Amino acid sequence: MSGSGAGLPALDSPQVRRLHSRAKRRARRGRVWTYVSAIAISLWILIPLLFLTSMAFTTREVVRSYPKNVLPFVPFSIDTIRFFLDQPGVLSGLWNSLVVATITLILSTLLAAPAGYAIARYFFPGRDLVRLGILAVRAFPIVVLSIPLAALFVRANIFDTAYSVACMHTALTMPTSVLISASVFASVPRELEEAGQVFGASALQSFWHIVLPLALPGIAASSIFAFVLSWNEVFAASVLTLDNRTLPALLLVQLQQSSDAYQFAGGFFLMAPSLIFMFFIRNYLFNMWSQVTK
Amino acid sequence: MLLFLGLFFAYPMFEGLRLSVWDDDAVLPLRAAPHLDAPESGRLAQGATVEILDRQGNYIGDPGDTDLLTETWYRVSVDQPDGISASGWAPETRIRVRETGADGRPRTATVRPRLGEPDDPRTALRSDPNETAAIVAFAPERAPATIADIAILEVWFKVSDPASEDAGSGWVPSRFVQMLGSGDTGRIDRGSSGEFTTGFIKKMFSDRFFGPAWRTTFLLLVLIVPAQFLLALAMSLVIHARLKFTSWFLYVFTIPMGMSDLAVGTLFFSVFTGNGLLNSILEGLGIIDSAQVFLSSQTRNWIIFAIVVAEIWRSTSIVMVILVSGLQAIPDETLEAAELFGASYWQRVRHIMLPLLKPSIQVALILRTILALQVFAVVIALGGGDTVTVLTNETFRQYFEFRDNNVAAAYAVFVLTLSLASAFLYLRSIRDGSEARQ
Repeated sequence: MSGSGAGLPALDSPQVRRLHSRAKRRARRGRVWTYVSAIAISLWILIPLLFLTSMAFTTREVVRSYPKNVLPFVPFSIDTIRFFLDQPGVLSGLWNSLVVATITLILSTLLAAPAGYAIARYFFPGRDLVRLGILAVRAFPIVVLSIPLAALFVRANIFDTAYSVACMHTALTMPTSVLISASVFASVPRELEEAGQVFGASALQSFWHIVLPLALPGIAASSIFAFVLSWNEVFAASVLTLDNRTLPALLLVQLQQSSDAYQFAGGFFLMAPSLIFMFFIRNYLFNMWSQVTK
Repeated sequence: MLLFLGLFFAYPMFEGLRLSVWDDDAVLPLRAAPHLDAPESGRLAQGATVEILDRQGNYIGDPGDTDLLTETWYRVSVDQPDGISASGWAPETRIRVRETGADGRPRTATVRPRLGEPDDPRTALRSDPNETAAIVAFAPERAPATIADIAILEVWFKVSDPASEDAGSGWVPSRFVQMLGSGDTGRIDRGSSGEFTTGFIKKMFSDRFFGPAWRTTFLLLVLIVPAQFLLALAMSLVIHARLKFTSWFLYVFTIPMGMSDLAVGTLFFSVFTGNGLLNSILEGLGIIDSAQVFLSSQTRNWIIFAIVVAEIWRSTSIVMVILVSGLQAIPDETLEAAELFGASYWQRVRHIMLPLLKPSIQVALILRTILALQVFAVVIALGGGDTVTVLTNETFRQYFEFRDNNVAAAYAVFVLTLSLASAFLYLRSIRDGSEARQ
C-alpha cells in the first residue's frame, strides 16, 4: 500500500487481490464489532426501561414478588397504573403537569421563534452572549433561582398557580429553544426568502409563505423540547407550588413514604413523554449543538 | 425576551447572591424620638438583650401595613357606681366589644374584669391612649360602655442595652422587640436594616452535612465523568459509523436525554431495590442465594455505585450528541486520507478524531461538570438524601427543612463558584495543551 510508483504489482495480480480481500475482511469484522457494540449499548439503555414499563403494566402482586419473572408483562394488567391513579393528588398532579407543560410550550415557542430568527438572520451585539447564556443558566442551582421568585410570586399573588410555574419553566427552556430555532432558521436558505421578495412579496409575506413552512418541523421539535423539559422539571415546581403540585413535585414529596407500585407507576408516567418525543426531535439535537460549539 | 430572562434569571441570581452575604435583620437603629424620621442615636445588634425604659403609642390612621405591631385603644363612656358618667381611654384588652354599627365601627361594649386582681377588678381610664397617661377614672368590671372613639397605635419602646456602654438609649418600634418576663426587659428579635456578613458562609462551612456533601459530590464527579466520556465516545463512534438502522440506534441512545433525573432515579430504584431487577437476574444466574440489600443506610458504597450507574445511564446521551456533532464537522476526506496511508481504526480515532474533537470535548466536559455538581433527584430517589448527600441536596434541606434561605443561598453560591472555577480550569488547561503542542 505504501508503494512508491516503481515496481507496483499489477491491479489484478493475486498479491493485490489478497491484500484487497484482507482489507475487506478486516472492514467487515470491524462492522460486526460496531453492530455488537451498538446492540450492547442499546440493551444497556433499554433493559431498565423495559423493566420499569413492565412493572407499571402488571399486577401489584408481581411488583411485590421476588424473584421477578424473566419475561416482562406477565401477566399484563393495568392494576398498578390504576392503583397509582387512584392515589390522592395524582390525577390533579397529572393535569397540572399537562397544563404547565402546554403553557410552557406555547409561551416558549412564541418567544423563542422570533428570537431564533433574529439570531439566524441578523448580526447584533450580544449574539454570542445567548450562546454563553445556556451554560450560565445551567450553572446556577434552580432551587435558589426559585426561592426569590417564590417570594416575588407570593407578593404578586400568583404563587402556587400553573401560570407562575409555566413562566419559570419558559425561562428555563428559553436558551435551548432559542438555539434550536436559530439553527432551524439558519438551515432555511436565505436565497429562497430573497427570491420571494424579488417576486414582489413583502418581508412578512415571504417569511410567512416561504420560511415558516420550511422551518415548521424544526420549530415543532423545539416546542416539544420545551414541553419535555417542563414535564421533567422538579425543583422550581416544588418551590413554586404548594397545593397545585405538578406530578414530579408530587412524586418528590411522596417518594420516601410510598410503595414500590406507586414509585414504579409514577416513574413510568415521568418517562413516557420522553419516549415519544425523543423520537421526533432526535435529528435536530445535532443542529443545536453544532450551533453551541461553533 | 430579554425582559423575561432578566426577571427569571438576573433578578433571582442577584437576589441569591445577596442573600448569601447580606443579613437583612442584622441591626436595629435606635431613634432619638419615637418616629422613623427621627435622627439615629445608636444601633443595636440582633439578639441583644435590652431594658425597656419607656413606651409610647403613635397614632396611625390606617393599619394597612400588616407588618406593624399595633394596639387599639377605645375612648369609652361608662356609668360609675355613683351615677356619674366617666369617659377615658382604655386598651382593647380591657374592653369587650358587644355591638358593631352599620359602618363596621364598634359602638357598645362591656368592661372586662381584671383577672387575678380580686381586690380591685376595676379598669383605669386614662386621659390619653397611652399606658403612662394620667388616670382620669376607674370603670367597674362588666359595666356597659359606649365607644366614642378608636385610636390605633403603633407602640414604640425606649430601650437601652446594659451590656454596651456607648449605645445609650433610644426608641425602637415594639415589633422588633420580644418582651421577656414582666416586660421590663426584652430581646431584639430582628433588625430593620441589613449588614454585610460572612456569617452564613461560615455557618455553611461548619454545617455538619457540608463535609459529606462536598466530598460525595466530588467523588461522584470523579467516578462519573471519565467513565461517561468513554461510553459517550463509543456511542458516538457507533453512530458515526453510519450503520443500517442508525436512526433507530440514535433514537435509543438519546432516550435518556429526555428523562428527568427523578424519573431515572425511580428507574434505577426499580433495578437496585431489594426485590428489583438486579437481584432477580443475579439469583436467576445462581450468583447469589437470596436477595441482597443494596439501598439501605448500611450500604453507603452500594448507594454511591447505584447513583454512578444511574447518572452514567442518564447523562451520557448529551455528551454523545455533542461528540457526534463534533465528529460530523470532521471532513470525510481527512479520515479517508488517513485510511489510505494505512492508519488503523484506533490510530484514526486516537490521532485524528480525538484532536479534532477537542472543542466539542471541552464544551461537553464543562457542561457535564456543571450538571454533575447539581445531581439531586437521583440521590434522593436512590439514597433518601441522608446516608448519601450532595451539595444541592443540602441547599434543598436548608430551604425546606431548616427554612434558612440565607444558608441555602450560600450553598448555591458555593455550587456556582465550583461550576465557574471548573469551567475556567478546563478552558485554561485545554488552551495550554494546544499551545504547548504548536
